[in-house]
Amino acid sequence: MRNRLKLLRVERGWTQEQLGQALGVSRQAVNALETEKHDPSLDLAYRIAVLFARPVEEIFDNPHA
Amino acid sequence: MLTIGRPTTTAQRKYMMRTLAFMGGYVAVMVAVIFGAFDDIQGTPAAWGLALTVTAPIVGQIWTTLAVMRDSDEFVRAVMAKQFILAAGISMALFTAWGFAESFADAPHAEGWLIYPLFWASLGVVAPFIKSSN
Repeated sequence: MRNRLKLLRVERGWTQEQLGQALGVSRQAVNALETEKHDPSLDLAYRIAVLFARPVEEIFDNPHA
Repeated sequence: MLTIGRPTTTAQRKYMMRTLAFMGGYVAVMVAVIFGAFDDIQGTPAAWGLALTVTAPIVGQIWTTLAVMRDSDEFVRAVMAKQFILAAGISMALFTAWGFAESFADAPHAEGWLIYPLFWASLGVVAPFIKSSN
């Protein structure tokens, strides 16, 4: 799923490891999200949205829209 | 190894240590069998005990795999499940084919316990290629 996760992370100067710790997931999971190798669950997508204080749709492209 | 790359979490480190321990137990029994340590119990009830003993590390491995999946995030869990299913499927397919080849094509006999090392070999082959949960 296309997303702006890497951009948002880099804007804040965070490493994948740091973002993973903030989200409660592994660095591999962050990398997989950024490289579109993993579509997040609804729960994880909402956690990411809360962390970056943005709606989910601003971070992840809706593939069905 | 079902984890992706070097273990980075406590769950992955536990999984690696438990896997090495269970695999070590299995290999130890196999080496003892190969060197004839259990030749005297052939045909006795104790042989059934040996058969169950060698199964214990495999059951333990299934347990530790489920444990690391429980303690991992959704991406690692999904990738591990894909790797495990693919490796198990390849092992079952190959062994089934070999079984029929034994029955109908005079292929040499392969012992049933070979399915476990075959599973690990299959896992080693497929794991580097499974990096996506999609």
